[in-house]
Amino acid sequence: MASITLNNIKKTYEDGVTVIENLNLEIKDKEFIILVGPSGCGKSTTLRMIAGLEEISDGELKIGDKIVNNVSPKDRDIAMVFQSYALYPHMSVYKNMAFGLKNRKVPKEEIDKKVMAAAKMLDIESYLNRKPRALSGGQRQRVALGRAMVREPSVFLLDEPLSNLDAKLRTEMRSRISMLHKQLGTTFVYVTHDQTEAMTMGDRIVVMKDGVVQQFDTPQMLYNHPKNMFVAGFIGSPQMNFIDCMVKRKGENYFLSFGNYEIVLPNRMNDYLVMYDNKEVVFGVRPEDLSIVKGKDEVNSFDLYVDIAEMTGADYYLYGTFNDKKIIANVPSNNNIKSDKKYKFKIDIDRIHIFDKINERLICD
Amino acid sequence: MNERKRLSNTFSFSFLLLLSVVFLFPLYLVVINSFKSKFNIISEPFDFPNENTFVGLENYINGINSSGIVGAFIRTAIITIGSVLAIVVFTSMTAWYITRVKSKVNKIIYYLFLFSMIVPFQMVMFTMTDVCYRLGLNSVLGIIPVYLGFGSGLSVFMFSGFVKSLPREIEEAAMIDGCSPIKTFFYVVFPILKPTAITVAILNAMWIWNDFLLPYLLLGSADKTLSVAIQLTMQGAYGAIDWGGFMSMLVLAIIPIVIFYLLCQKYIIKGVIDGAVKG
Repeated sequence: MASITLNNIKKTYEDGVTVIENLNLEIKDKEFIILVGPSGCGKSTTLRMIAGLEEISDGELKIGDKIVNNVSPKDRDIAMVFQSYALYPHMSVYKNMAFGLKNRKVPKEEIDKKVMAAAKMLDIESYLNRKPRALSGGQRQRVALGRAMVREPSVFLLDEPLSNLDAKLRTEMRSRISMLHKQLGTTFVYVTHDQTEAMTMGDRIVVMKDGVVQQFDTPQMLYNHPKNMFVAGFIGSPQMNFIDCMVKRKGENYFLSFGNYEIVLPNRMNDYLVMYDNKEVVFGVRPEDLSIVKGKDEVNSFDLYVDIAEMTGADYYLYGTFNDKKIIANVPSNNNIKSDKKYKFKIDIDRIHIFDKINERLICD
Repeated sequence: MNERKRLSNTFSFSFLLLLSVVFLFPLYLVVINSFKSKFNIISEPFDFPNENTFVGLENYINGINSSGIVGAFIRTAIITIGSVLAIVVFTSMTAWYITRVKSKVNKIIYYLFLFSMIVPFQMVMFTMTDVCYRLGLNSVLGIIPVYLGFGSGLSVFMFSGFVKSLPREIEEAAMIDGCSPIKTFFYVVFPILKPTAITVAILNAMWIWNDFLLPYLLLGSADKTLSVAIQLTMQGAYGAIDWGGFMSMLVLAIIPIVIFYLLCQKYIIKGVIDGAVKG
């Protein structure tokens, strides 16, 4: 049983700076959880508090049923993979992997068996006698993973383990880590600032900003139903477009009015918009929910002057400016599109998100 | 550009060659004179030994047979090995602690170590000698903590500089791998500090092995160290000096420290932490 519970966790440094305020998380056994957010949002601090490398100023941290606030890292039954790998430079790959087991007085034959099994799994068998300096970045990363694996911990903590690898290797290691999670069946807590990693690997994702959890949900829910503008903007690449607009009511229908355009909202949103009649809100639409249309009288559409058209292979990323806001559209590359030209874009109203302009929270989607 | 680079290389080479000659010339004089008779040393100090002046190992045999040289050699070895071991072990631990544990007290301790480097020995030697006599440190083993004190300033400074460049994650990984702080130090930190430890050992060994004033003040002529013994025993009555014996003993005194340096310098590996962290 290796669930992790964070109850009202607070972290204040000696200089009085509070980086985490009232953090509450329930991580289930065998779950792959991703902590994601911009630099300085407190994700690494949270991970380090779980590891026991950072003191908890207030609150309660449980691993399984045991409160571990004052338990040293070695007694928490965790293993950690660091961003910088943190291999022991004077030890061979084998010794790096065996070190933790040796400290726990595991018999030599068993150490040997476990190291060899992990090395085979990670495809580093032929490097066991090498020192870390004789390995490439990807190999070092695998050794760091192996060192964590052989201990068979209840919880795996990974602090941006792929951020120092090149793009190709990162994709390869991403699937390898996901595979590892399946094979080991252990709780994984993974820190990253890369939302693609978060979306592709995690069972659930914790989106953090300024030490506060913005949303803790599955990748699908985060993408389709973000709770606020920060999550909506952070999750998804290219990021969601935000357009300032006014809510208007005509009879039974609500409209969003922006510039010279109006879009008719579905009736299911009516109840949520009662309080916002004649008030400013922000609507968000993902780049792929904009499509180019030819007809002049298309409803729920607007004209956009495309400054730059980027061909990425299967898609075009179209960049334009509407009411001083940058707009990005993602359309299939079978459209014949040129930059410096005006196009009409239709908004998929079933996929729009309306946010409160003041507190930036979701009103409805 | 290439021409300029070549000129610059030639200039550097010539300058370093000249510098080497300046440094090695006294050593050359000591070695050649150690094989000449004591009268020829004074009359022809710069000449290479020839069939008239060459006396073989006579100076060496006389020197060794003079009272106390062998004993002095053993005493100096005990003092040097003991002091260097104490300096390396204690100052590396101190530097690790005061670098890693941030506090005002540790900062003050660090600056005190730095301050100790700029106080000249001559300024404290009389009061310190008196204190050492009172504490019973005027013995072969007693002088070791005194050397530890004098050697710690530079050594803590050197170790601290290296520890600062060490990624903290390596120590944190060791903690998660089940190490106590002591175990982390001896199994993980100290092996990484090895190049600095060897540099510290070489510097301190050379200084302690060759030191004259401190052992002269604390141990006097009772427990002579090598440098004191050479000075005292080679000096005959009425100020007459056995230059042959003196030179040969100087050569013998130099050999161990040169061997120590040559053995150690290959362990000063640049970039020993390569590969530990992101490249």
